[in-house]
Amino acid sequence: MSAVSQSDPAKDLKNDQLLVDRAKSGDRHAFDLLVLKYQSRILSLVTRILSNPSDALDVVQETFVKAYRSLESFRGESAFYTWLYRIAVNTAKNYASASAKLQLDVSMESMVGGTDHLPSFQDSGSPDQQSATDQLQAAILEAIEQLPDDLCQALTLRELEGMSYEDIAERMDCPIGTVRSRIFRARESVVNQIQAQFPGTYVS
Amino acid sequence: MTEMLRTALSALVDQEASEFETRRALEALKSNPDLKARFGAYQSIGATLRGESLVPESLLTRIHAALDAPEQLVSQARPAATQSPESVNPTITFLPAREALPSRFGIFAGQLAMAASIAFAVVIGVKVVAPVEMKPPAVTSVETPEIIRFQLPVQREQVAVQTGVTAVDESPEASTPRLMSEADVRRLVSERLGQYLVRHAENSSVVGTQSVLPLARIMGRDEPIQ
Repeated sequence: MSAVSQSDPAKDLKNDQLLVDRAKSGDRHAFDLLVLKYQSRILSLVTRILSNPSDALDVVQETFVKAYRSLESFRGESAFYTWLYRIAVNTAKNYASASAKLQLDVSMESMVGGTDHLPSFQDSGSPDQQSATDQLQAAILEAIEQLPDDLCQALTLRELEGMSYEDIAERMDCPIGTVRSRIFRARESVVNQIQAQFPGTYVS
Repeated sequence: MTEMLRTALSALVDQEASEFETRRALEALKSNPDLKARFGAYQSIGATLRGESLVPESLLTRIHAALDAPEQLVSQARPAATQSPESVNPTITFLPAREALPSRFGIFAGQLAMAASIAFAVVIGVKVVAPVEMKPPAVTSVETPEIIRFQLPVQREQVAVQTGVTAVDESPEASTPRLMSEADVRRLVSERLGQYLVRHAENSSVVGTQSVLPLARIMGRDEPIQ
């Protein structure tokens, strides 16, 4: 058995580059797929820099807006995610320093008595939203646990181990087409369960 | 939504789609927006398994709104429904990285560089300019080539001490302007200037200024200070 390789960078580059090229030519759908693909990773990254979830979402939004407006400068010499990662880190750092400066100004202003118009940046106002997200994540994990073994194994090898279809096929001793089908069926099963449990989820 | 298209989307999530499948999926997205939601659903399953944060579905809408708006900061383009009334007013300015506030070390280094450049300029500049400035005025040399009039109505006593005349001399002759040679005047001015410079340097060090300018002036003098 050959050594397990993570997802093939050349293939990543090819897939993303195609989406980037289409987005450059004005195809918003292609850019939407890039957003959907990387939004969770970017949010996790930004959350490690900023503590407020509401601020983190703003920064993720800003990151993708900046990325879209700077797409022309992306020449594909590095992976799209690497480029996006740099934008996200810079945006989060700038946001943090600007917020700190603003909060400093606010606290100084409150010392001299002017508090009527002062903003509150700590109100994310999203405990319900956070609770819904937690419930959704729990339901997804539960649905995955209920999958047949072969589907569950194929999905987790791909998502957790980051293995390519080829490596999973070797590991599971089956054709690549079967791996592709198993992963697809696993996802379909989870999505269908979630939609039954939470009507309106995953509907555009 | 055909199963083949969804299979292609699943493969696209995993970077395993062929170019043909990718193009086909993108074409299908134009007429079938549910495909995009399905792509997001597949992605969220992996994110959940990896313990990543799930993103609200409204984020894509917000990004579209921000992109459609003219060049505007996201914090300003944030939908009003998601904001508290208080947070609508402030505008957060995203500073470019290079415009971030300088660190304490940066400020100190800047001060040091400024002081060093001033000191260098003064030392060099005084050497060049000083001889020109020390020339006596042209008018006096025309009127009296050898002897000039030197009147000290206010500090008469101090001058008297230095020129050897007693301070108690209050005769009418003493109140008249005394005549001093050009060499004496130069010597006197030089001594006075040296004393002022030394006093200024001492005063500067006591006051606590970090400037080296007073010391540089002393060092830049051609004549030793007595």
